[in-house]
Amino acid sequence: MDNNKLKMTQMPDMPKMQEMPKMPEMPGMPHWLLEDEKYSPQSDRDAFISKSIVGILSILSRIRTQDSRSTPKYSVNAAFKVAFTLLLLIMVSISQSTAFVTVIIVYLLVVLCTMQAIQIVKILKVSFIMSFFTFVILLPAALLGNTYSIVMITAKVFTSITAVNILSHSTRWNAITSALKRFFVPDIFILVLDITIKYIVMLGDFALNMLRALKLRSVGRNTSKYTSLSGIAGTMFIESKEMAEGMYDAMQCRGFDGEYHVNSHFQFTAADGAYILIQIAIIILFVYLGRT
Amino acid sequence: MIEINNVSYSYSGVTALQNISLHIEKGEAIALLGPNGSGKSTLLKLINGIISPDQGTYTFDSEEVTGKKLSSAQFTKRLHQRIGFVFQNSDTQLFCADVYDEVAFGPRQMGLSEAEVDTRVNDCLSLLGIQSFKSRTPYHLSGGEKRKVAIACVLSLNPDILVLDEPMSGLDPRTQRWLVEFLVHLNKSGKTIITSTHNLELVPEISSRAILFDENHEIVGDMPSGQLLEDVDLLKRVNLVDQYYHCHQGSDHKHFHDHSF
Repeated sequence: MDNNKLKMTQMPDMPKMQEMPKMPEMPGMPHWLLEDEKYSPQSDRDAFISKSIVGILSILSRIRTQDSRSTPKYSVNAAFKVAFTLLLLIMVSISQSTAFVTVIIVYLLVVLCTMQAIQIVKILKVSFIMSFFTFVILLPAALLGNTYSIVMITAKVFTSITAVNILSHSTRWNAITSALKRFFVPDIFILVLDITIKYIVMLGDFALNMLRALKLRSVGRNTSKYTSLSGIAGTMFIESKEMAEGMYDAMQCRGFDGEYHVNSHFQFTAADGAYILIQIAIIILFVYLGRT
Repeated sequence: MIEINNVSYSYSGVTALQNISLHIEKGEAIALLGPNGSGKSTLLKLINGIISPDQGTYTFDSEEVTGKKLSSAQFTKRLHQRIGFVFQNSDTQLFCADVYDEVAFGPRQMGLSEAEVDTRVNDCLSLLGIQSFKSRTPYHLSGGEKRKVAIACVLSLNPDILVLDEPMSGLDPRTQRWLVEFLVHLNKSGKTIITSTHNLELVPEISSRAILFDENHEIVGDMPSGQLLEDVDLLKRVNLVDQYYHCHQGSDHKHFHDHSF
């Protein structure tokens, strides 16, 4: 049978234009809608809307930048990076050697130099801020003469935060979650992590648009800001609930039975080899210097 | 009224608008066309002062809109009152407890008396045919009803310009038809209407002028809507229509239709 004919015979009969239900008459425009609005806005304390928008934008931008990043410089397998970063944190934490911590700081600064300027600024900014607060909290110890401890703990905080931030900025989050499979983390836990990252972006976009809508509609003095914000929170909750239900239904339709299998394709590269050699050197250094 | 000169904009290094120039007069009805990701929504955000140009100038009513000016609450509030924006997803625009409060949100902020607010809300609700929803919670409404409430919220501010991002998406044919007639009605009343849409069949009805974006985020066509829709080669070149779509003259109207069967 001719395919075209088959398809055409399956098409439902379209109603003729005369049979379509008639549209209700459009009512006349109210007079105020036809006049130019003479309005001078009153000032209001609503800078929090713009600040919230900027905050959400920066988080979304960071996730999206990670996703679109080409990573030739950081082609080391994520599983190695996660494992050795964890090991580095343990070694730095238990080390009592100033020399070892200093070497690690120099190593991390060298790694930082291979990254983009904007990433270097972001990483160092967080590291310095956290180190400064640690230093301030520990200042009373100086009165008791424990200056060595202050310097060491501050340096260790700086090292740990820099190492974790380098991992976070140089590795895609989905690569990190996939790498967890190598450490025998259950697949279902990896699925939850992946979905969490996905929904941070989706709900973040939704929240961003809601805040933008609030800003666009806040054309004067809002006497009930908290009501508006609670309305946004409520709508977000409903949206997330609907998304979760939608996803659950979709997963069931795709045959999800509670089991999720993460496939990781591992290929050892020269970059992996070089990275492992450097890490072994650090471990040897720790054995000789770190514990004293 | 709106003058955009050589404007470029990018999101974290990803180009969204490339050297855009545009002039829009008061009372015009304009349709923005283009494939997904071509920059239509970004241009709407720029017009509404949600973002400011990286390069070039955007002038609204003889006053340049810059990032610095957008940080002034007084300036942005007036701009947002004069340019109403209807989001593609109406859910993001509705956050009040009931439809009445939703529509009254803007007029109350404008310092109008409660009697004036009541008049505006009731006028908007009857204009959009949603008086019966007055006390209903917005998130329990259907997609078409939410869209009508979102439009009522914007209209209650009495903006000079109404900007709509994909207003027909997700609406049934009857609601689409109603919305077309409503936009024509608003335009005839003197409102400037700027609509981004993928619904080519409705373009000649909702606009007298169409602006076409290509995948390089540039404007490649700015002409009367009918003329643009007849330029099938141009529409194909920007990947807005595929080879199965074409335009032909009917007895009293023209439309695009699918020959894929």
